[in-house]
Amino acid sequence: MFFRVIDKERLPDLIAGLSSEYEVVGPVEKDGRFVFAPISDPAQVRLDYDTTLLPPKKWFLPPKETIMRFCRADEEVVDDEVFAPPRVLFGLHPCDINALLLMDNVFLEGYVDPYYKARRENTLIVGMSCMPTETCFCNVWNTDEVHWGFDIFLTDLGDRYYASLRTVKGAEILDRHVANRAVSDEDTREFQRVVHRFKQGFNNNVDTTQLPVLLDAKFDSPIWDEIGDACLSCGACSMVCPTCYCFDVADRLEPDQKTGLRIRTWDSCQFKEFAAVAHGQNFREDRASRVKYRYYHKQWGYLSKFERVLCVGCGRCARACPAGISPVKVIEALQTGEVQ
Amino acid sequence: MSAAHTQERQMSSDGNPYRPWPARITSILDLTEKEKLFELRIIDPEIREAFQFHAGQFVEVSIFGVGEAPISISSAPSKQGFIELCVRNAGDVTGALHKKRCGDVVGLRGPLGRGFPFEAMKGNDVLLVAGGLGIAPLKSLINHIHDERHEFGKVTIMYGARNPSEVLFRYQFDMWRHRDDFNLMLTVDESDDAWDGEVGLVTKLFEKIDVDPDNTYGAVCGPPVMYEFVIAEMRKKNMDVDKIYMSFERRMKCGIGKCGHCGVGHQYACIDGPVFSYWEAMNLQGAI
Repeated sequence: MFFRVIDKERLPDLIAGLSSEYEVVGPVEKDGRFVFAPISDPAQVRLDYDTTLLPPKKWFLPPKETIMRFCRADEEVVDDEVFAPPRVLFGLHPCDINALLLMDNVFLEGYVDPYYKARRENTLIVGMSCMPTETCFCNVWNTDEVHWGFDIFLTDLGDRYYASLRTVKGAEILDRHVANRAVSDEDTREFQRVVHRFKQGFNNNVDTTQLPVLLDAKFDSPIWDEIGDACLSCGACSMVCPTCYCFDVADRLEPDQKTGLRIRTWDSCQFKEFAAVAHGQNFREDRASRVKYRYYHKQWGYLSKFERVLCVGCGRCARACPAGISPVKVIEALQTGEVQ
Repeated sequence: MSAAHTQERQMSSDGNPYRPWPARITSILDLTEKEKLFELRIIDPEIREAFQFHAGQFVEVSIFGVGEAPISISSAPSKQGFIELCVRNAGDVTGALHKKRCGDVVGLRGPLGRGFPFEAMKGNDVLLVAGGLGIAPLKSLINHIHDERHEFGKVTIMYGARNPSEVLFRYQFDMWRHRDDFNLMLTVDESDDAWDGEVGLVTKLFEKIDVDPDNTYGAVCGPPVMYEFVIAEMRKKNMDVDKIYMSFERRMKCGIGKCGHCGVGHQYACIDGPVFSYWEAMNLQGAI
């Protein structure tokens, strides 16, 4: 990887420059919280954001998306073109970049999802360093670091940024739009100090020892009933999760009743009908089995296929859950046998 | 895992695995009050020719404006150019399909999923156990075995239905009853005056057979409640856990391992199954 340094006060030049070529999406404030939204003025960008309400996944897997237009008479697809404008996602934290790499395994391996792929290919990623918040536990999964999956990654050294350049495009863009200089030994030493401070900042150190074994061995444990009793099946955890990708597909007819749209929307394994089949059988009817399934899939099912857990420790689900369920609490309950 | 028991990945012509191919209904047979047998031919000749499948695989049937439903293929892979689908009128898509007429067009995606390990089964006896609509995917395997009968040892078919009017594929099984190369046993829970077969649960038929456990593959498909009892009988006959195969019905929506609906244990029924060995199924939490 190559590295350059840019002055902090020059950063708006980069954002403005990118805006001339791409739609730039970055963290902006909304009602006291933060969201990723298209930006028109570099001053809107809040690089001091803690975490966003929704993860960046919606720019690759929109909450609602038309995957094809059809004509009923001859069962023909009339259009399945993907709309994927050139875009930059600016200011992504390491957890969210790692989450996209996990999504890539699902959508780009085996059968390739053309909609996700087109957006992924047309989107540049500019990452940004962060400091741990109270709900962060990316340190647990080693997703507090990111070494690929971005074009540029900026580490905040106070008055300047240490820019890691992963791709040719990233290097070109940096050079074209913002004044930059070579990295000095002192810059790298300061980079190490900053990263060290960051690593000291975590207050969640949950024990994940032998988690797949525990999930199998404690499949019938009463802790799941306890957690299931608390769960409201609202699905908020899935919606705010940067790695939850499940979706539903439904057809909608146009008023002419001759043509229509096949639409996919975000779905959640926490919803009651999620695993129901046609003649009434529901394989996960009760809440306990659905909560358990979510953890089981993330911490074991995905792991068995891709050698990583399907969680990046962003803490959004812990913040969003009205019942106070969080991965840290669930894993601790598995380790200790008691729900705290 | 044997080479034959691997999943197939077939893309549609334009690389979009969500896009169905138009297929024409070329025959419709009423099997029972609720089930019809549809014969379908993909309209594009190149894609029709490229459509190669294994017994136990399924397709997504698409009816635009209604949606898609996963249906297992009932015809044998040895028969080319068309597929047969045995469809129960049970939901929106299957209901709409039941209203279609011969010559109408529907959409198809597939073949999808992992089927039975046909090649590994060769040289062995085979014991097939079906309950109700579970005969639909097994019919593909039965007919494939039939077409390569010399490759197999003893073939036993046990099929249980609720009552005589719900027995599927009667036209074939009636003809097969007196064949000596298939030991075909039909049973119904409730008989009527015309029924001269067995009465009782399919598990009762195990009393009537001898199994060579070192040399027998099992294939099971039926309603979820059936598996536990049938497998218990197979285990009593000392059949190996990794030679018993079963097909699971789950809510395969996308069929290609993306949408998440058919998750079973740590696997997806659509790409890791729907056919699993009993050993695999035992390792899938919540599967049986």
